[in-house]
Amino acid sequence: MATEKREEKEEAKTDDGSPKIKPRPIVQLGIFLISHSPVFSVVFSVAGVMALLLLPLLAKNTYISENALMPGSARSMLSHRDVSDGSKLVKDIKNFRLNHEGQGVEVQRLIGKYMSEMGAEVSYQKFHPEGNQFHPLHFFSGPASYTLLENVSCASYGVNVAGIIRAPRGDGKESIVLVTPFDSINGGDHEALSLGIASSLFSLLARVTWLSKDIIWLVADSRYGDYRPVAAWLNEYHTPSFQVSDLSKCDELNIPDSFRRAGTMAAALVVKVDGRSERFEDTLSIYAEASNGQMPNLDLINVVNYLAVHRQGFYVKVEKVVSLLSSSWLKIVGERFEAVGKVAHTLNPDWNFGIPAADYLEGSATLASSLYSQALGIPTGPHGAFRDYQVDAITLKVSPRFHPDSKARQHDFFLRGAQLLEGTIRSVNNLLEKFHQSFFLYLLTSPSKFISVGVYMIAFALLVAPLPMVAASLYIDGCNALTKSTHNPAKNLKSWKWLDAAKQVFALHLLGFIVTLLPYFICQIPGQHSPTNRSIMWASTSSSLLLITFVTIPGCSPFSSRLHGTNWAVLKSITISAAFIGLCLMSIINFATAEIGALLLVPMCLMVRPIKPDLRSRRVKSLLCALCSMILVTIGFPVMFFAISKGLIGEGLVGLSLGGEFWTWLESLWAWKSATYLYIGMVHLPCWLLCLCILFHPC
Amino acid sequence: MKDDGEMAEEQKKKPCRFWIWALSSVFFRLILISFPGNLNLSSRPEVSTPLTSIRRLAEGYWLKQASMSPYAGSMYHGSPLLLSLLGPLTVQRINGQPSLLLCSLVFVIADILSAMLLRGIGQKLQMAYGLNARLLGLLKSSRDKGILRCGDISALVYLWNPFTIVSCVGLSTSPIENLAVILALYGAVTRRVPLAAFGLVMATHLSLYPATLTIPMIFLLGYGLDAPPIKLFLQTKSVENEDRSTSSVSKKAKFKQTTRVPFLWKTVVHFVFWVLLWSLYVLVLCGLSLSKYGGLEEMFKRTYGFILSIEDLSPNIGVFWYFFAEVFDFFRNFFLIVFHVNILFMLLPLAIRLKHRPCFLAFIYLTISSILKSYPSVGDSALYLSLWALFVNELVDMKFSFFLFCGYLGISLLSPVMHNLWIWRGTGNANFYFGNAIGYACFQIVFVVESVSAMLNHDRALKRCNSTNREVKN
Repeated sequence: MATEKREEKEEAKTDDGSPKIKPRPIVQLGIFLISHSPVFSVVFSVAGVMALLLLPLLAKNTYISENALMPGSARSMLSHRDVSDGSKLVKDIKNFRLNHEGQGVEVQRLIGKYMSEMGAEVSYQKFHPEGNQFHPLHFFSGPASYTLLENVSCASYGVNVAGIIRAPRGDGKESIVLVTPFDSINGGDHEALSLGIASSLFSLLARVTWLSKDIIWLVADSRYGDYRPVAAWLNEYHTPSFQVSDLSKCDELNIPDSFRRAGTMAAALVVKVDGRSERFEDTLSIYAEASNGQMPNLDLINVVNYLAVHRQGFYVKVEKVVSLLSSSWLKIVGERFEAVGKVAHTLNPDWNFGIPAADYLEGSATLASSLYSQALGIPTGPHGAFRDYQVDAITLKVSPRFHPDSKARQHDFFLRGAQLLEGTIRSVNNLLEKFHQSFFLYLLTSPSKFISVGVYMIAFALLVAPLPMVAASLYIDGCNALTKSTHNPAKNLKSWKWLDAAKQVFALHLLGFIVTLLPYFICQIPGQHSPTNRSIMWASTSSSLLLITFVTIPGCSPFSSRLHGTNWAVLKSITISAAFIGLCLMSIINFATAEIGALLLVPMCLMVRPIKPDLRSRRVKSLLCALCSMILVTIGFPVMFFAISKGLIGEGLVGLSLGGEFWTWLESLWAWKSATYLYIGMVHLPCWLLCLCILFHPC
Repeated sequence: MKDDGEMAEEQKKKPCRFWIWALSSVFFRLILISFPGNLNLSSRPEVSTPLTSIRRLAEGYWLKQASMSPYAGSMYHGSPLLLSLLGPLTVQRINGQPSLLLCSLVFVIADILSAMLLRGIGQKLQMAYGLNARLLGLLKSSRDKGILRCGDISALVYLWNPFTIVSCVGLSTSPIENLAVILALYGAVTRRVPLAAFGLVMATHLSLYPATLTIPMIFLLGYGLDAPPIKLFLQTKSVENEDRSTSSVSKKAKFKQTTRVPFLWKTVVHFVFWVLLWSLYVLVLCGLSLSKYGGLEEMFKRTYGFILSIEDLSPNIGVFWYFFAEVFDFFRNFFLIVFHVNILFMLLPLAIRLKHRPCFLAFIYLTISSILKSYPSVGDSALYLSLWALFVNELVDMKFSFFLFCGYLGISLLSPVMHNLWIWRGTGNANFYFGNAIGYACFQIVFVVESVSAMLNHDRALKRCNSTNREVKN
């Protein structure tokens, strides 16, 4: 086959009248790859999946890349007096809440009073609970696009308190932010503990001389969720609105309304205290994923991890998919890798890539969780709001092992928590520039192990590498077939035969775009509708639009009789090219989405072929092919995949409630401006439809 | 995908469909104009360069109104005439309408005019193509059957090209620059010498690089429209004559004398005269409008000087900004010369090789200058892509069309993403965006090379057809 192609190429050259030249080696390589595309596509796809499974083995240990950070090099200056300040605040708040039921804003004033006693500048900020609303055109615009709602009721609003310590050595141009979400009405005792840690630290920082960056302590009013208050405060901090907000009128408590600022933020730490730890030690969970799979600089996580493990003796963990830990197939894979690693070690003692199966399991569970939360594109905590302003931020969720009422243990807990934060802030304080040395694009397999972009991109690249090869090979085949079939010289536009198929691909992508925008209009329909009803509305409008497209645009429908002129190979080639462009774009916007999308889309696009001749031929191999492509296309439908993944987790969903669930899931995606939503609507769905068209192509 | 509509429509040959598509493109623009804040196209580096940004123009106008030089503070670098024309529109507001609405309407009108002129050029070229094919004996019937209506295709490619739409809606002044270039070509094709000279002078005045078009325009006026090489006609004629009267030595000698096409010196001199006249006129106008602020010298320094010395190194889709941000200062002048000479080097060889196809030569010059421009934008690509569509008849066999299409599509989608990664997310760096710019330049180069080789192959194919015809006759 290869020689055939080469001959064709040479013939084409001699046709032009130019002398017969041997093609260059790179061209020869390209032709070789294209002509053997079935073999190579299988090899590359399998290699891509293997590389994905190998990733936990390839994880490197983290290291502090920025020398200026010097974590843990200075002795902690935190004294017992500072800690007792913190304890006093916690006690006061607890007493206050016992005495005054439901008086939310008073607690904020109490905290403000404490802050100003420590010598900080205090400011209060009122905000609205709602903010995230889907608007199709605001999708990629920056965070400045929050619009003031017109009619605002004084009934529901939150109050943030921010205290700023001016650095004695600084020039007020930079700052470090410490956030403690606190729900003054419904919050449990644990939330008050986070205030205790922060105020112990704040009391120390108010008197130290080494500060060169201002410290902002934000007590975010988390009555309406963790994220929204922080986002509102950041929005006010960076883009002040000069219109007088309606909120200033609802001034029942006479709070001074001046908003205070410090310099640009170098880093932000969100501290939360959670329920009791299940382990012997206190547990520290690190959450780092911001919107659209963005991560903070790895150095920030490294510093916290280093100090927590080596100085304060916390047990540090990151999220993992627990169900994977007990999966047997992954265990078998891990054991295989371990065995291979051992063999390699006996062959050459320098080859140390094998890791124990248990480690492999842990690593893959963490990696899966890391991939999943990046792919969703929804921030895993209030730190996500900072990333929109290019500020590196993480959430530290501390779970103490004692009961919140025990006083003696509380002191020790505050001391250790505040020392951890002090060390981190001191490291960040040393920075002369923004965080830039270490990685921004990485996946975590444990708090101290990471996979950098250069490694995980290999898995993706191997997975999508077959797409251009198969597209080229199909294109050549399809064009040759078309040249043979049409004898009309007027219509024989040699190089432009793909335009008809491109029209179909374009029409379906346009349809995908419209379907993506539809929920915005469905949400505009007055009246209350349940998610199920809305999803039914969406599905019916989309399918009627699809029918309209098939009827109005000739040659678009797989069932129309005009189609015999066009060749399915060309259509498939263009579909694959579109999928390739879409996946590559998405891999830059959000790698994890692209990786998961490629796992679904690549086999579907490669396998799919018209089912009619396969069924007619009645051979086992072609029947198997047809079955395979049917299954892949079925799984590729987004709703189907959603249902299957739900089923894998263990929540069986059948019937109409599935539509409602799917709608709710998508709503969460677009409310957080996740690019995954756009990917599903504008890349995955059109490619799936095209695969369907190819599957039912009348040959 | 923009051309598939046209392909289908021209095959049916319904002129009415052309107008439907053209009108719908205008409506599409008007719809997009009504969301200016949401699209935010005018701040994209791909759309508005320091030379074409309307915001800079508004700033220049404001400075002028405040009795200062419009070039003060290195904000505005365009022509003073454009300032007097568009400047008042930037401050006019209609109640309840988005600002700069009037400017947008001007750009839409400019786009429509350009499309109509392109259609006119295309009709002329199509007629010439049919005539030549008949002369060579390739086309038997008198009707132009099988010839694509390149004028309609080109006009629709111009109107529906996403690049044109984006630069029209994104309020860059490139639609007006493009209009000037197309006006010049139209004047030359229809042999309206004063119009051609006016277009050339205005285009050069607005963006300097169209000055290279002088060569193809002189060819156009001197030799006439695009045609296959003159040798082919001579061969055909000689065959016919041999058939009629063999062994006539005197006649053969006569043919040898006519192997050269007559060059219409008179028209060219006429053209040069008009160019000088219009340039004088433009310079006087500019001088008058800048008389208080440093005069013409200031204008030359701030417009052409700014273009040639590449002072603004803010990112764009070209390849110069990155290089000159990196280069050491004492090498700067040397590399400036090297980079600009790149364009000049290519002028002469191309002019010699393609002198029988002056319109195509103009297309190639524009493409090359849009690759090697100091501040390129997608508006330049819009211009050369629509000019390319004028030659669909000759370029039907162009190779890698699908590859190039995918490349342009991918690059134009990738560019905003890379920019976002670098500027807004902070996780990428300048190399990401520059890599994209290099990719874009590569695709443009492949596009030029393939277009030229397809055109030369077309000429070769004509020659081969001709020789086989002759053999058949013999």
